[in-house]
Amino acid sequence: MSVEPGEYGAVGDAADMGGERSGDAPLPPAGMGAQVKELLRRSWLVRIGLFLVAVAVLLAIVGPYLARFPLEEATPNANLPPSTTYWFGTDPNGFDVFSRVLAAPRIDVAIALVATAIAFFIGSAIGLLTGYYRGWPGEFVMRIADLIQSFPLYVLAIIIVVLTGRNFQNIVLVIALLNIPIYVRLVRSQVLSLRERTFVEAGKAAGTTDLNIAVRHVLPNGLSPALAQVPITIGFAILITAGLSFIGAGVRPPTPEWGVMVASGAESIIIGEWWISFFPGVAISLTVFGFAVVGEALRAVFLREV
Amino acid sequence: MTRFILKRLALLVPQLILVVVGAFLLLRLLPVDPVTQRVGIFATEEGRAAVKEELGLDASLGSQLGDFLGGIVRLDFGEAWTTGDPVFEEIAQRFPITLQLIILGFMVAIAIAIPVALYVASRPVGKADKGTTVYALFAGAQPDFWWGLFFVYIFFFILGWFPAPLGLLDIHLIPPNGPTKFVLIDSLLDWDIEVFVSVLKHLALPVITLAFVLTGPILKIMRQAAMDVHASDYLLYAQAGGSPRQLRRRIIFRNALAPTLTVTGILFGFALGGAVIIETVFSLQGMGRYSLDRTLSVDFPAIQAAVSVMAAFVLFIYLLLDVMYAVLDPRVRYGEPG
Repeated sequence: MSVEPGEYGAVGDAADMGGERSGDAPLPPAGMGAQVKELLRRSWLVRIGLFLVAVAVLLAIVGPYLARFPLEEATPNANLPPSTTYWFGTDPNGFDVFSRVLAAPRIDVAIALVATAIAFFIGSAIGLLTGYYRGWPGEFVMRIADLIQSFPLYVLAIIIVVLTGRNFQNIVLVIALLNIPIYVRLVRSQVLSLRERTFVEAGKAAGTTDLNIAVRHVLPNGLSPALAQVPITIGFAILITAGLSFIGAGVRPPTPEWGVMVASGAESIIIGEWWISFFPGVAISLTVFGFAVVGEALRAVFLREV
Repeated sequence: MTRFILKRLALLVPQLILVVVGAFLLLRLLPVDPVTQRVGIFATEEGRAAVKEELGLDASLGSQLGDFLGGIVRLDFGEAWTTGDPVFEEIAQRFPITLQLIILGFMVAIAIAIPVALYVASRPVGKADKGTTVYALFAGAQPDFWWGLFFVYIFFFILGWFPAPLGLLDIHLIPPNGPTKFVLIDSLLDWDIEVFVSVLKHLALPVITLAFVLTGPILKIMRQAAMDVHASDYLLYAQAGGSPRQLRRRIIFRNALAPTLTVTGILFGFALGGAVIIETVFSLQGMGRYSLDRTLSVDFPAIQAAVSVMAAFVLFIYLLLDVMYAVLDPRVRYGEPG
């Protein structure tokens, strides 16, 4: 596959933004490791993005242990502004906003990571199979993918989560379902062009089995766009989880979850109690932005490598 | 061109049927029992059977689907289980509210994104270019519900420029009962300036929120497309041939607009589904809230109709954009690969 410079969105833009050098210098043709290093050296934005992602993943692991107050124990100290005791203030239940903001990635980031992993593996597998073995089953799968994607995404998510039960598992499955078609398409289109290449013919001539060619030779060559999509899906999954919870169709309060927390402050914002929604919102904003930047940078690396 | 449109229309029909059947089957396949939802788990068999009949769930799946499809042709979506009112009329009240919001949001976003994109594409790697690229990446990855609340805090609580996020009208005003159901248009038709201004003020923050998020991706694709045109051989040729600046600008604009339209169409579908979030923040009773509320109360006729209408509308938008694309790019019309 040949990629014209500039064909793919902001290829290289992430690398160029804020760099000390002018943006037209291409990444070195060396291995991927060297490219990543060069990208990090050149762009402050990519450094920030990676930092934000690292913090989010770290908090998903240790966040709940950093709590300064019990996470789900109501206290009479409701709606207090930020102070030296309550760094981010308290919410209408008297919860400490700071503790809950740090604990929430255990839900938000975990849902996003698991859902993305499922979407990536199932989507890529379907994409590989339908791309490599053409025929009506592949066409049928693509029409199902079309159908899923023609529904209004949020509404579909609301219906499935609310009617099957608002819990971790169902939210993960819905987000995975909504993203599977994206991976099917990305991998399938790669495989469709790769299967005509000489190395496939060579494999066949050498007597390698079809499945072997598909999995060991075609798939690794066709996976780059799907891999570059992974951080974008993670960020998007965090947005969907928080959005669903915000409107009352996702995680149930009082679970410490960013969308739930923004919602708990939505009413008091018109009387000026900004801190209840503000801090969890900033957390969502920075985390999703971090994943978006890393996705953009991955694209720059992968698509030049292909 | 007519042939192209006809061919495209022919494609729309099976798509529509698929979406409607999909919405119907989705509700029947999910593990939810609307009868138990209504009568509880301690109801007698007779009680359950009575409710089941009342809801129309005693009929076979095939005949239920037949009724649903037959009703759609007559613009009859049945009666809502929660209110007993015709679903069609409920949706006719709600849909314009959402559409008005989204269309205004897109108008603002496009009005900002396209000129800015054209400007920075002609001066790449400058400060303005870097700034817009970072903004585009940032805005495309933001929680719109939180920005909505943030704008409310700044522009309502602190500055007091716009009203509180409570619906479309000041409480003492009477909504117009005009033919279009778009409050903004109907109030103008009635020449009720007070209502018109009130609606504009109430819509300002939701529209700004929507535009803030939407401008990002539109800006990104338009900038990239315009830069591709700048780097193209045909523009170089036009320049070498001495085409006037005006003409070259036109070439850039037209060619960059085509891919932008495609992305805008996909965004429109996303925004229509995502409207529920902005509607929640600003207490607007649009389609998003309707779908959410009726899902929470397990109202099958309302849910399947709402989903079908929204999906059908998105398909219609895709059709419209494909036609516009064909107008902009004649290669599409003649079946050549774009």
